[in-house]
Amino acid sequence: MMNRFDHLPTLKIDGNTKIPFEYKGKEYFGVQGDTVATALYANGVRMFARSLKYHRPRGLYSLDGECSNTLMEVDGIPNVRTENTLLKSGMVIKEQNVKGSAAYDLLGFLDKLDWAMPAGFYYHTMHKPAMIWPLAMRQIRKAAGIGKLAPDFQMPGTYDEIYPTADVCVLGGGPAGMSAALAAAEQGLRVILMEARPWLGGHFDYRTAAYKDGQTLHDRAAQLAGEVEKADNIRVFTHTSMVGAYNNNLITGFQIGQDADPFDERYFEIRATAVVVATGCIERALIFDNNERPGVMQANCALRLANTYGLLPGSKAIFSVGHDLGLEAALTLHDLGLAVACIADVREDGQDEGLLTALRERGITVIRGWVAARAHGKQVKKATLTSIDGTATQTLDCDLLVASAGLTPVTGALTVAQAKLRYDNHTGYFLPTELPANMHAAGRMLGLDSGPAIEASGRQAGLQAARDCGTDVDAAIRAVRTEREHLSGPARGTKFVTAPVKGRKSFICFDEDTTIKNVKQAIDKGFDVPELIKRFSGAGLGPGQGGIPGHNLPLYTAKYQALSDITIRPTTVRPPLVPTRIATYAGAQHTMFKQTPMDAMQRRDGGIFRNIGVWQRARYFSEDFTCQAEIENVRKNAGMLDGSTLGKFRIHGPDALKALQRVYVSDMAKVKAGRVKYSAMCNDDGCVIDDGVVVKLADNDYYLTTSTARAGQTVEWVRYHTRYDGWDFALVNLTDSLGVINLSGPNAREVLAKVVDIEVTNEAFGFAEYKEFKIREAIPVRAMRLGFVGELSYELHVPSSYMQSVWIMLKEAGKEFTIRNFGVEAQNVLRMEKGHIILGQESEQRTNLLDVGLGFLWDRHNAAAKKVGAVALRQAESDPSRLKLVGFKMENNGRAPRDGAVIVDQAIRGYVCTARDSFTLKEAVGMALVDADLAKVGTRLAFFEDECDGKLIYGEVVKMPFYDPKGKRMKM
Amino acid sequence: MNALQRISPVGLSGTPLKTEARDHWQVVLEYQDEGQGPYLVDLSHRNRLDLQSSDLASKKPFGMTVPDIPGRSLMDKGILANRMNRTQVSLYHLDGERPDLPAEPEYTDVTEATLFIALIGAPVFSICEKLTALDFMAPDRQPPFLYQGPFAHVPCQMVTLNRDAAQAGLVLTCSRGYGRDMIHAIMGAGEEFGLRPAGESRFTQWFQSL
Repeated sequence: MMNRFDHLPTLKIDGNTKIPFEYKGKEYFGVQGDTVATALYANGVRMFARSLKYHRPRGLYSLDGECSNTLMEVDGIPNVRTENTLLKSGMVIKEQNVKGSAAYDLLGFLDKLDWAMPAGFYYHTMHKPAMIWPLAMRQIRKAAGIGKLAPDFQMPGTYDEIYPTADVCVLGGGPAGMSAALAAAEQGLRVILMEARPWLGGHFDYRTAAYKDGQTLHDRAAQLAGEVEKADNIRVFTHTSMVGAYNNNLITGFQIGQDADPFDERYFEIRATAVVVATGCIERALIFDNNERPGVMQANCALRLANTYGLLPGSKAIFSVGHDLGLEAALTLHDLGLAVACIADVREDGQDEGLLTALRERGITVIRGWVAARAHGKQVKKATLTSIDGTATQTLDCDLLVASAGLTPVTGALTVAQAKLRYDNHTGYFLPTELPANMHAAGRMLGLDSGPAIEASGRQAGLQAARDCGTDVDAAIRAVRTEREHLSGPARGTKFVTAPVKGRKSFICFDEDTTIKNVKQAIDKGFDVPELIKRFSGAGLGPGQGGIPGHNLPLYTAKYQALSDITIRPTTVRPPLVPTRIATYAGAQHTMFKQTPMDAMQRRDGGIFRNIGVWQRARYFSEDFTCQAEIENVRKNAGMLDGSTLGKFRIHGPDALKALQRVYVSDMAKVKAGRVKYSAMCNDDGCVIDDGVVVKLADNDYYLTTSTARAGQTVEWVRYHTRYDGWDFALVNLTDSLGVINLSGPNAREVLAKVVDIEVTNEAFGFAEYKEFKIREAIPVRAMRLGFVGELSYELHVPSSYMQSVWIMLKEAGKEFTIRNFGVEAQNVLRMEKGHIILGQESEQRTNLLDVGLGFLWDRHNAAAKKVGAVALRQAESDPSRLKLVGFKMENNGRAPRDGAVIVDQAIRGYVCTARDSFTLKEAVGMALVDADLAKVGTRLAFFEDECDGKLIYGEVVKMPFYDPKGKRMKM
Repeated sequence: MNALQRISPVGLSGTPLKTEARDHWQVVLEYQDEGQGPYLVDLSHRNRLDLQSSDLASKKPFGMTVPDIPGRSLMDKGILANRMNRTQVSLYHLDGERPDLPAEPEYTDVTEATLFIALIGAPVFSICEKLTALDFMAPDRQPPFLYQGPFAHVPCQMVTLNRDAAQAGLVLTCSRGYGRDMIHAIMGAGEEFGLRPAGESRFTQWFQSL
């Protein structure tokens, strides 16, 4: 393990606290505060992984996960960004995308075959002859992507979610972001500050250069962070990456949990009135031959390795940079013990004189107008430098090549928020020209370089955001503008992209192994703008979300095509800006289903539950999914079904009847007190959408039921279809208020009689009658005599809290009749035998009232009611092309076809709605929707099932109902 | 013969210390180890009414005036009235003896339709923040106020009664059927804050201190 610095004020590690981890089967140690990548680096690991296409060795290049170089498998999870992942005790770390090891990869030979894989090669090879493509496709798919995950892999950890609201949301906890947050908070606003790193400070935090008045940048960062933390109305979320921005300033992101947090990752949705984007800059990659070899890294990476993690990044370095930060890094690292062979600066002039003097004093050579042309060795051993016109070169030994073309703003947050960017010739940045409403940009991303100017910019943005929130800050904004006039403006930036090389091994995108040569190939084929080049060459499509190629691609594209003006823009980036786990999006995964009041008791009784819409319902009561015992018990004895999911409503008010007349197809004026009326609702197309019963409670006061599926929409449906009438009525949803017990079977009356005090004979409580009574003078019950399952049945509507009590009473009373539960599947078979339909099963979106044989419900003479669907039904009456619902039985006592099986001759002629092997009828029967010409009784039907391999089964159309055609049993 | 028992949609994992039989409900007055808060209290046994009328201004439920603007709530003698929309008000009985229900047809007893809970204690809005995007601390709202919207993805009514840190609390109703999963979601979200089940006495004491 390398020695660590322990005296630097900028350090974020505790060198005394060792953290063990496993790497390639051996135990290593990092220290508290290390990321996985820095811990590996401290232990001498330089090759972290292999690249996607060419299997080139890759090492530490940035420390913010800007590319896939250091993606590894951690604790069985592939593609972990080890630069951003804090080391935890016991972590098991493996290399990925290697055959062998990262140092010795058997697939490394692919690097020599780049000539065979030009840009978009898979678009124009492997297609002829056509038989090659399926084989090639399999191999390409095998090779594509990195990391492996078993299909049944379950992501470990705890994932949470949070939906905070703020007046101002600040993205970026650097000096501009902190200043913006403080300025907004001073106005009394609620501020959220998001920072991707585990601490605040941004680019001030790890630098010991002077801020002003003898204060270092690091000290200034600490001072600002202290002020932020003291402000009660600023909520700081560190280690929190923004991943998306949507309308009305909805910001999404995720936070990585620390040891003390109750979550591993936490998904964020922040709703803010105003947003300040202060995401700063990253370094623009310098492009030269082998520019992604282990040992090549960005200036900030090298500097932060030392100042943040206490690691000297190498022993002898060459710097090839294009900005003063590179010179500052060289100076700092030299003072920490790094030998600096020389600095090649692409700029001919414009360097900070103070930095040049300091370097000169230390004997460090700065060669202006020079750049790295090539890195040598699988891991850097020497580097060739060249003048930028390519006329002179020299090669020097080194084990570290610090390379950076310049800075470039992190504009992802602006882009996903639909801001417009335009190239700025002075800074060399793509700067925002049009920002969405209530969004402001600040800080270094605008090209500012001096600390005070960056902070003032942040304050101004914070105040502008405060103004968006309605505070009176115009005077304060004017004052900051005046202050900024006396501070430095945006600094001149370098436009340099690539060394004078052919580019065969000069990578513009590390993630996708896209070289400058590939970009040229794409342009030469006519793909001349970044959006097309990206898709043809893959540049920017990797997990780094375009971090490395981001702004280099449009700059190089413009340069290669000799465009006089850079009108080309960077490619569009989309959420998630930072790779985000699906588990993080899933969050706490609260399962939200409704349970009936009988749920727990039915589970105790062996109920096997299924999710049906928003409900969980007992579908079976044994492992025999044919439900034979449940069905036979209802037919012969008595059974109880929990029907609590039925929609239940009260409609009352002076115009309640008018509303019912509008939405029901029947004449609802005929609903009589004490009677149950069955009817249906249609949509404007005449398609039947719901059925249920209505009872009259009093004048203009009705109680109605709907199907389970429609309960959630019923209030809106009635309101919508009466919206222009100004009628005075009220609807109350009682679906959850009342549970329903369906007591069915020839012994149902005897069972009920033992529990209630009213007369329940057929004469006293006949079929289709409605009664209200109390059980034990306490439980109010609404009872209906119905017959959905084709037997004597009572539907008891009971206050939900009393459901269990009533259920127990009935169960006790029914013991002598071997009463037992039956579930939804048994009910399905029982009603099918009786020929009763379930909407959604015997109907679909196009099925109208007439198709399913419910035309008798329609009151065609009441035009004044303007019944929903009536106009369409009139047209459909004479339409011979519609499907008809028919019953069928199978030939030769054959088995039932599966639900959904298709009915065919030379074409598809219909489909099976429900079909079962009926134990009651001792044959297979079912219902199907078929073309009208197949609806005649006796017509032979051919059924085609999934995977039947061409073997059809046959049945014939028969009359319905199959069971008790005269309805004697339900009226007994 | 079994005694009649009304079952609440809210099942809490605590051990009841004091209970009271009330109209066939077994009301838990106090749980063992209720902790220092925050608390979740089951109030599902307390009455809720739906009032709908095209002339709400003329209605005086339990003698009180209904709030004039949707989203506003009013509290009087233990009754909370919440204006839902142009024609609808929800009424919650929070404290005192159960009142006689009005006989007019505009009222519907919806006690059984929903679960009814109170969340009280300083961090309740931090718990809520994990389950809904609704802004309970919105400066343009003054307690008591009504939100109708998603909470743990389920349509709910939430009335913020107080949001001062020392006395923060709200009541929440949603479809009774969501009882198990709603409580699971809230207890899960509140775990890091020490959310514990508490008995009705805790709520009454808190409510009377408002």
